[in-house]
Amino acid sequence: MKTSTLPDAPRAGRLRKWVLWIALILVIGWSFTGMPLLQIKDNAVEVAGAMFSGLIHPDWGYVWTGDGEDLVSTLLQTIAIAFIGTFISAIISLPFAFWAANTKHKNWLVSRSGKIILTAIRTFPEIVLALMFIKAVGPGAFAGVLAVGVHSVGMLAKLFSEAIENMDGGAGESVTAAGGNRLDVTMLASFPQLLPEFVSNTLYRFELAIRSASILGIIGAGGIGTPLIFAISARAWNRVGIILLGIILMVTLVDYVSGAIRKRLV
Amino acid sequence: MQAKPVIKFDNVSKTYPNGAKGLKDINLEIMPGEFVVVVGLSGAGKSTLMRAVNRLHDITAGDIQIDGQSITQAKGKQLLEIRRNIGMIFQNFNLVKRATVLKNVLTGRVGYYPTWKMVFGLFSKGDKQRAYNALQQVELADKVYARADELSGGQQQRVSIARALTQEPKIILADEPVASLDPQTTKHVMDDLKRINQELGITVLINLHSVELAQTYGTRIIGIRDGEKVFDGPVASADEATISAIYSGGEEANG
Repeated sequence: MKTSTLPDAPRAGRLRKWVLWIALILVIGWSFTGMPLLQIKDNAVEVAGAMFSGLIHPDWGYVWTGDGEDLVSTLLQTIAIAFIGTFISAIISLPFAFWAANTKHKNWLVSRSGKIILTAIRTFPEIVLALMFIKAVGPGAFAGVLAVGVHSVGMLAKLFSEAIENMDGGAGESVTAAGGNRLDVTMLASFPQLLPEFVSNTLYRFELAIRSASILGIIGAGGIGTPLIFAISARAWNRVGIILLGIILMVTLVDYVSGAIRKRLV
Repeated sequence: MQAKPVIKFDNVSKTYPNGAKGLKDINLEIMPGEFVVVVGLSGAGKSTLMRAVNRLHDITAGDIQIDGQSITQAKGKQLLEIRRNIGMIFQNFNLVKRATVLKNVLTGRVGYYPTWKMVFGLFSKGDKQRAYNALQQVELADKVYARADELSGGQQQRVSIARALTQEPKIILADEPVASLDPQTTKHVMDDLKRINQELGITVLINLHSVELAQTYGTRIIGIRDGEKVFDGPVASADEATISAIYSGGEEANG
């Protein structure tokens, strides 16, 4: 069989590739102009050495003191903040998700407005929300819970609504055909199909909330962040070391357990 | 004496919002106990015809009567009560895959319960037994507590037959029930439907791609082309010329 040589790639494609590369290089160059000159303090090496030595000689005595300010207690508080925050947001997310889901029987304006509100909620970083809630309810774990809870709604409801959009409508159709009304369809077909996905999304959100809850204490919203910022201010590197170890252990453990559960759900 | 038709179409037409014609002026009478096969090309309007019967699709002109009662004019509760007497079987089974077989079959009873009971999934003991009986009819009694997605395609389709049976319907609509099944399972599913038709006297209206199956199982064939009824008669009178007339025209003729 006669074969012909491979034709050149279309010109337009090549041109676009070059334009993209040049744009990328320009953006990188521009970003550097916004940075001040690199400055290193005279005692940088000394401080880095102290930090490192603290990290490899953690303050084991801080793990458990029984006064409620120790590592285990504040880690547990962090988990509690993340858990309650995520749980509350999962419940609040449900109506938002049905609002924002773009399904057949609905005007697209309705779902669009829902999506815009969720995006607006998502734009507030947790730390900003926490600062606002601290003003409203005072410093402590409750402000942390509210910050995690509200921020999570933005993301969870979006994930839930996508699950609703992607759901196979067939099972619902069969309930309709058997004489069920719309609520029957929701209860007998939609919910059983969506529940595992909802739980899985919520667990994933919980993994992320653990990380945020670890930081929120830095501004006074409860959890492990509070002793961490105190230890850093006091240059108590041994304590910083044990706290960081604790956070790493907690995050790893939560990820592992939650990941294992999610795998079984799907 | 002439019995009353269980399904009656009077000058039924359906025009989609985009102007495409789904059904054109269809008149049809189906008697109790018939096994009626609808054949035609993909897109000819077979599915639309099926879904018009239980009003999963609304029609734009004419009237459809189920057992002498107009479903076209039925409102609210009345519509739901007509629907619960019509079982439906779908090409893609339409089961809740993560739920048990029993739960799926029980859904067939939804029309007999107030909604608040469905919120909590409160089905009566009698209905659970009814569901189990239906599963025995399709020889799937041993799978009653299995998850629906653990079953093979043919078994899932038989679960959906059991779901329709649990409704204790007068009519079963089957929309391409064997289109995604292999020949052996196809035979099993078709045999089940035939048996239900003969032993329980349930009227069956079914859509099929295959003319061969239509001739093997049907008592009557209806040919649909471009939304129009082009043939209606007993299986024996559908000769080769008739069949090729139903399948002529090609798909470009409709949307």
